[in-house]
Amino acid sequence: MLMASHLTRRFGSRLAVDDVSFALAPGEVFALLGPNGAGKTTTLRMLAGLIEPSSGSVRVGSDTMSPHSASRLRGQIGFLTETPGLWERLDVRRNLLVYARLHGLAKPGHAVTEMLDAFGILDRAGDTAGQLSKGLKQRVALARTLLHKPGVVLLDEPTAGLDPGSAREVRDLVLRLRDRQHVVVLSTHNMDEVERVASRVAVLRTRLIALDTPAALRARLFGTRLRIVLGQPASPFASILAEQGFNDVRTQESTLSIAVDRRPSSAPLVVRCLVEAGADVYSVIAEKPRLEEIYLRLLEGDVPQARDTNADHG
Amino acid sequence: MADSSRIRALLDKDLADLWLNPALFIPASLTAFFSILLPFIVAIVIPAFVGERLSDSSDFEIAVSSYRNQPSVSGLNSEGAIQAWIFQHFLVLLVLTPVAGSMSIAAHSVIGEKQARTLEPLLATPMTTFELLTAKVLGSLLPSLALTALCFGIYVAGVAAFAQPGVYRALFTLSSLGIVFLLGPLAALCALQLAVCVSSRVNDTRSAQQIGALVILPIAGLLVVQLTGTFVLTPPVIAYLAIALGGVNIGLMLIGVKLFDREAILTRWK
Repeated sequence: MLMASHLTRRFGSRLAVDDVSFALAPGEVFALLGPNGAGKTTTLRMLAGLIEPSSGSVRVGSDTMSPHSASRLRGQIGFLTETPGLWERLDVRRNLLVYARLHGLAKPGHAVTEMLDAFGILDRAGDTAGQLSKGLKQRVALARTLLHKPGVVLLDEPTAGLDPGSAREVRDLVLRLRDRQHVVVLSTHNMDEVERVASRVAVLRTRLIALDTPAALRARLFGTRLRIVLGQPASPFASILAEQGFNDVRTQESTLSIAVDRRPSSAPLVVRCLVEAGADVYSVIAEKPRLEEIYLRLLEGDVPQARDTNADHG
Repeated sequence: MADSSRIRALLDKDLADLWLNPALFIPASLTAFFSILLPFIVAIVIPAFVGERLSDSSDFEIAVSSYRNQPSVSGLNSEGAIQAWIFQHFLVLLVLTPVAGSMSIAAHSVIGEKQARTLEPLLATPMTTFELLTAKVLGSLLPSLALTALCFGIYVAGVAAFAQPGVYRALFTLSSLGIVFLLGPLAALCALQLAVCVSSRVNDTRSAQQIGALVILPIAGLLVVQLTGTFVLTPPVIAYLAIALGGVNIGLMLIGVKLFDREAILTRWK
């Protein structure tokens, strides 16, 4: 549905994006993470057909983006830019109507009403954009992005600066888009958002340094750990577990943290050992490092370039 | 292939936005006001103030001598003929109205979109550069031409009210109408295309307006050479000038499309 092949972009001597490849299928939410200046917006702009890659290519469906096809392909893409970019003096309906006409929709007025209704802003249709709160402006911008029902939706920091309620609405929208089989590419700094909506995560720092599902990244970087809370001090049980082959055991008061080496099925064995040794086991949970920790570890480390193997097979 | 519905969509938006931002008309309105006022001061106010008639001046009589043979002024007395000569020659100044109007609107048109961060979503639509520029040019030109037509109406009404009877008829010659409704729009188109070209490369409206202001110099020069009698805007001269300006405009449109670098606008404008 959307494929980036060896995307590279230079601005003069500065390399902004280096050899980025991935392939996305319908119903996939793909999060682009990276520090400021990592090339996220440049990547989105190349995907949206706004700027040309210095080398590499973008494919939307079966069409390759080129100066000749860009105008047509932009009609299949919805791009939410970093700022809402509304015409402040015009009312909300008029803002959307211009885009409905630019996209050549058959019944622009009807399409706008439908979209305003879907986003719950029909009652604000007559308000000028300048009167709206930041959250409402973002909602209008999202309505504008989806007005022409694009198959590919690119969202550049869609929840930046929004209050928790508005941010949640955006996340719910992304999930609805996923359910309707849109391809969604999300550039963000909000790890919580990514955790909740992304099916795959790419960490970008000019080049891709990681690309996988959040669970796979977590397992790769941190392994699988069990957190067990006991009814007594935990330290005496560490040596008992070591005898059973669990060498990486950390203790803190009555809590044990045990590396189970990507074997969640080890949980019954661990619990049995502890119970036989006289421990009162209160709770057993799989430890789940936050995505933020994964992200920071990826950025700290000297990680080899990642690539989506699907992109190479096209 | 240009899609006229997309051009119309953006044009409608620009006109609606302009309607809600009338301050953009201030430069053109001031230009129009002084362009209209100046010939009335020369032909009506000063003679009334000093208590002399224009026809008392032998200089005017000499200047107008050949002009008096024209059919449009044949029925006028000496005073009326001199007034007609002044009002017709000063019409060139009215050309400045669409020029000033177009420049201020056009410079705002591209840079204003960028400053308001509305250009990137616009560039993300199927709209091509040619369509975008065409809409921007028309969105600046049409309101300026409407203002010029209004000013011409006021000018004619003023002449009919304050000048000698019949003088206003001299304003309905081929030359007069050619100056206002052919050279004016073409000069305005020239100025605004310069402004659009420049505004797609610079980041503030003043720079764009300053470059566009270059068009004012030849117009002012045209007025001076007309008054000295060394160059007269007869219908054939107007036609040649119109053809030349048309060629310049086509060239500027092509240059504008080339210069309007979507990437530079997105990546270098801060």
